[in-house]
Amino acid sequence: MKFDLPLAKAPDSIWTAIEASLTEPRSSGSGHPYLPRRLPRRPLWIAALAAAASLATAIFIWYRTPRPAWEVVRLDGSPSIASKPMAAVAKIGVGQWLQTDASSRARISVGNIGTVEIAPNTRVEVVAARPDQQRLKLARGEISASVSAPPRLFFVDTPAGAAVDLGCAYTMKADPDGNGLLRVTLGWVSLEWEGRESLVPAGASCRTRQKTGPGTPYFDDASPRLRNALADFDFNGGGDPALAIILAEARIRDTLTLWHLLSRVDPTAREGVYNRMVDLVPLPNGVEKDRALQLDPSTLKHWREELAWKW
Amino acid sequence: MVAGPGRCDITADIIESCRRGDRDAFRALYDAYKDKVYSIALYFFHGDEAAASDTTQQVFLKLLRGVAQFRNDAEFSTWLYRLVVNACLDGARRAKPRGLSSSAFAMDAVAVPHSQEQDLMRQQTARSVRAALSALPVKFRLPILLRYFEDLSYSEMATAMNCSMGTVASRLNRGHKMLAQMLESLR
Repeated sequence: MKFDLPLAKAPDSIWTAIEASLTEPRSSGSGHPYLPRRLPRRPLWIAALAAAASLATAIFIWYRTPRPAWEVVRLDGSPSIASKPMAAVAKIGVGQWLQTDASSRARISVGNIGTVEIAPNTRVEVVAARPDQQRLKLARGEISASVSAPPRLFFVDTPAGAAVDLGCAYTMKADPDGNGLLRVTLGWVSLEWEGRESLVPAGASCRTRQKTGPGTPYFDDASPRLRNALADFDFNGGGDPALAIILAEARIRDTLTLWHLLSRVDPTAREGVYNRMVDLVPLPNGVEKDRALQLDPSTLKHWREELAWKW
Repeated sequence: MVAGPGRCDITADIIESCRRGDRDAFRALYDAYKDKVYSIALYFFHGDEAAASDTTQQVFLKLLRGVAQFRNDAEFSTWLYRLVVNACLDGARRAKPRGLSSSAFAMDAVAVPHSQEQDLMRQQTARSVRAALSALPVKFRLPILLRYFEDLSYSEMATAMNCSMGTVASRLNRGHKMLAQMLESLR
């Protein structure tokens, strides 16, 4: 059935209201509401004096103004910021560490884009707090992030990869050895490390290992055999025996895992992964076997988007 | 199944100019998307023109205030429609449930001129589709409108609606089936 919904024309009054909300129209100068009003001309020495005073004021303000900082709320126990116990509500700036012990928790408001809850026994550092990049480093422990922002604005660095927010909620764990686990509860997260990328949707998880980076994502309801075999394959050199278990255990939904494996297995094993994927979900229009096996990026992307109907 | 009006093309230059506070660039961006944003809101709010206007205004104000945070490596439309989704959901939470607005019938005037009989049939069909859309639960209505008016991909819709692509897919699928059932008599 083809719908026939006419595109409605937005009334002119909307733009008028937007303009009115933004700024009062200027009565002089260029008339452009976003441009500064032109100042009347003054003698040069007054201008020079004013410039010097402005510079001094700017320097003073720069020294006195605190650097961008996020608000932190103590939830339990006595978390510390920069090695000092924090008050019930405090600020944390770039370069400062927040640490919780076994009985403390805290919540950080990341600018105006979301919150990050810091679990017990966790150590995090604010790496960047700019409008174009908000970045935390998770040295160890566990955080739960809930972010509402344009994709690729919020990052969590771990020793074995960076979690890149694509609009989502997730938990990220890192153990003292630098190994980690990402579990996504809403939206998508991209886990990235040295050119290796795992795309993890809601309901799925992905392990990370130091010096190896992100493993292959899997749905949390995948069979234990599949998950164990995947850990073997990703991090313990499980090779063909592990791959055989993964392929045998895979359900339709596990094409998430197989899609990632396609570009990670040995080239001689690639066709086996491809065949299993096609067994589970017929090849969609626009995806050709040869191009898929050659790992053509646009083919793989299109295939992933079609497979995602089943995820 | 879905044949919408197609995608808008906004260049990185326009977005960059918006970030610098260029009003003309923002006007160009507004002009490119205003009818689609307004249409989604209008159909979402059962033809309520006042609610659609409010939502459109809110979306573009948020867009203007947040555009400095937007980076060109992400899809602009994904972010824009996320704002639309949030504004629609906020509006729906605030508003009491209501039926099809009488002003919804004003939308018939948008239809392309045809013969009188064709016009009547088109108006009847459009009215039925709108009524069926209005009857859909919000979670099924939104993805259908996003797919129809902007042809977003599943991953873009997933980001806009803050859910997984699988959820988008199943909601689209179920929404279309529900619509098809409701519109069975028009076939």
